[in-house]
Amino acid sequence: MASRYPFVLSGSRAFPGKSIAISTSLFLLVLAFSAGGCIREEDITLEQRAHQLAGELMCPVCEGQTIDGSNAQIAQDMRLKVRERLDAGDTNANIRDYFVVRYGEEILAAPKGSGFNLLAWIVPVVIVLGGIGIALTMINNMRKSTERSAVPTAPAEDDLSMYLEQVDKDLGVADQANQSDKAHS
Amino acid sequence: MADLGVMALLLGLALSAYSAVGSIIGEKRGMAELVVSARRALYMTTLAAAVASGALINAFVQNDFSIKYVADHSNTLMDRAFVWVAFYAGNEGSLLYILLTLSIITALSVWFAPKRLARSMPWTIAILAVIQLFYFGVLAFVASPFELLGTVPGDGRGINPLLTHPGMFSHPPLLMGGLIAITIPFAFVSGAMIAGNYGDDWIDVARVSAIISWGVLGTGMLLGAWWAYTILGWGGYWAWDPIENVALMPWLVMTAFIHSVMVQKRRGMFRMWNVALLNIAFVLAQLGMFINRGGPVVSVHSFAASTLGVIFLIFMLASLVFAFALFLWRMPEMKSDRAMESFISREASFLINNFLFLSVMAVTLWGVLFPLFSDLARDVSVSVSAPYFDRANGPVLLGIVIMMGIGPLLPWRKSSARSLKQWFMWPTLVGVLTIVVLVALGVQRPVAILAFGVVAFVATAISEEWWRGTAARHQAGDNWLLAWWRLVNGNRPRHGGYIVHISILMLGLGIIGTNFYQQRTDGALSLGESLVIDNYRIEYVGNGDESRRDRIAQWAEMSVYRIDTNDYSTEIAVARDEGLSGFTLENSEVRPNDELIAQIQPWHGFYPDFNMASVRSGIRSTIVEDLYVIPRDFLADGRISLAVSINPLAWWLWASGPFFILGTMVALWPQSSVERRSKHQKVPAAPDDNEGEL
Repeated sequence: MASRYPFVLSGSRAFPGKSIAISTSLFLLVLAFSAGGCIREEDITLEQRAHQLAGELMCPVCEGQTIDGSNAQIAQDMRLKVRERLDAGDTNANIRDYFVVRYGEEILAAPKGSGFNLLAWIVPVVIVLGGIGIALTMINNMRKSTERSAVPTAPAEDDLSMYLEQVDKDLGVADQANQSDKAHS
Repeated sequence: MADLGVMALLLGLALSAYSAVGSIIGEKRGMAELVVSARRALYMTTLAAAVASGALINAFVQNDFSIKYVADHSNTLMDRAFVWVAFYAGNEGSLLYILLTLSIITALSVWFAPKRLARSMPWTIAILAVIQLFYFGVLAFVASPFELLGTVPGDGRGINPLLTHPGMFSHPPLLMGGLIAITIPFAFVSGAMIAGNYGDDWIDVARVSAIISWGVLGTGMLLGAWWAYTILGWGGYWAWDPIENVALMPWLVMTAFIHSVMVQKRRGMFRMWNVALLNIAFVLAQLGMFINRGGPVVSVHSFAASTLGVIFLIFMLASLVFAFALFLWRMPEMKSDRAMESFISREASFLINNFLFLSVMAVTLWGVLFPLFSDLARDVSVSVSAPYFDRANGPVLLGIVIMMGIGPLLPWRKSSARSLKQWFMWPTLVGVLTIVVLVALGVQRPVAILAFGVVAFVATAISEEWWRGTAARHQAGDNWLLAWWRLVNGNRPRHGGYIVHISILMLGLGIIGTNFYQQRTDGALSLGESLVIDNYRIEYVGNGDESRRDRIAQWAEMSVYRIDTNDYSTEIAVARDEGLSGFTLENSEVRPNDELIAQIQPWHGFYPDFNMASVRSGIRSTIVEDLYVIPRDFLADGRISLAVSINPLAWWLWASGPFFILGTMVALWPQSSVERRSKHQKVPAAPDDNEGEL
């Protein structure tokens, strides 16, 4: 049976996920489009860049703080150094390398995405994709076992009916309402 | 005092050992009286822990510096109110505090345990007793807070200056209490597994105790963030450092659990899964205890250095082995009653949400452990800090928020296309509209715009649900407020959950605002000078200082003006040319459109005994943005060196707290017996309806 609404099939062959799939992809499309539209040249000052970089460099004498957050003398000196290199026209990558040469890899607040450290970045992707994959497989397997055991199911209830039922219940007329519902289905 | 404390600890040790052994033997041999005796012994450990804690607190009150712990963590100058904080300021005291909490919640949960769990209670009690035994043992023999000093000092060293903040009265106790409280649902579930009580008898007690520990831990973390924001003086509130991460990880797993346990309650599914989640959460809580004891940085070197660390590591590994051996042993018995029917159902969305929470947990764990692997594999030290976790966890956290909008709108079992369209139309429209409007307004940062759209989507989904439910009741004759109240009251777990979701959205707003739109400038001011950033002018108008034997405090008086940037266009143009976000003005004359909006007092203290500085930022907070002034240093030439930032939406981070607590309480609030009875009478035939108990 065809529906009056676009994107909606009804009747026994309807795939309930279809409309959600379509609206999700529309949603994503709009997102992609608008995201593309809002990338502009950012009005970013050297000071802001310095602040960002300072957030990516660890303070060597403080435990677990970046130089951006630390009040230690060495952090202040390093912040000045960052500023100096920026004024001299260095790129962010140049500046990071400058500090790695002097203090070792430990100075970077996040490991670089190369060599052994690439692992730090790949594993999370594997975890997340793997996790979603396992979840979907689990749901699918559990679903298949239903089809085999063929549990009879009533159609899912939707929209206002569930609230009206609850209201009826609260008003103490649940029993009649339940029975009349059963009669309809 | 010290003797009394030690005696209480030894007594507790004996009682918990007796309780564990008695409970197991009594159950195995069918000696009912021994089981009862073992249970009562477990109540008595609370008394032992309380006496030991009382002895330590009394030693602080009496300034008994013959006890090393007291001398290390307080002095005569300390405000007496901080005795409570000093109690858990160090390793030994915090362990005693943890034991005290554990013994109290153990006694309460055993006392209130439902009757139908009688068969598994001896095992639950044995598990709880063993865990208490461990803490009593550590406190009595390895890390005694009652160790005496050979020579009694005239005064103590004083309390760690970073702890002298109102947030410290509640943040550490809540955090430690929340972590240890995970023991309770774990012990109940494990007891049921050992006893072969595979049904759902343990669900209610596990759910309630899990939500309590989760709510307490969550509140503790939020208070910690607030403390960091106001006192640590680095301008942030969450640094993803190992200590924070080890509290976050079990919390994430518990979040997964309190969602999926509802699936078991309603549909009889996910049994194995729920047991596994509690096991993981418990082991992660032990990891938290270990990292907190073994030193803040995980590395091969630090935990080898601390005996306490090794002991906690062994205990953690033992609990890991125990939990999963038990799980594998009983796994075949824990089948689901029903099967999954559709991908588009609430149970399926809960499973996906569970995996997303576990992913964030696993990625965080990976980040915490990676420096260790790097050390072992390459002998090169690396740091894994905020920039890594932001990037690695950010997208999944956004995904979780999206699921927060989708999941609750899906019905159980499966959904019809019509209902999907009906339910998702408005949230999707509002979400997309938000994005379009933000882009049209010229707001920058695509990721943040997307995140705002997601927040709008979820907020609309919750409002829609409340709107429809309230409207239906309104039709039936209630006024709007009463209609909404009845809706919430009709299903407190569900609507309490929505209130918590709203708090998470508020938190989300704060996180987006502060992470993506912060402005920042540094500067140094002499008296009478001003610093200008965006449309604020901060004038240094005065200062004060106070010297105490244990600290030298200095503070600045500053007037904050809202300015019209047109009045300052020349200076702004110059600053831009130099690449500066802000600038200083030597002459602080008030220009035509300047308006005085606040007085702030950035405060800086130096503690010579600790060689440590502590700062209190000057904050002027509105719901739009915070002006945040960190006094970095008072320089020798009389200037004050400042880091000034504008933190958009930071207010929402802290405003979310009350909603989080409120929602948790609503979800937990027990149904009165009258309500329960009426429910059972009226809906016997419809266990699968969409409403009801969620």
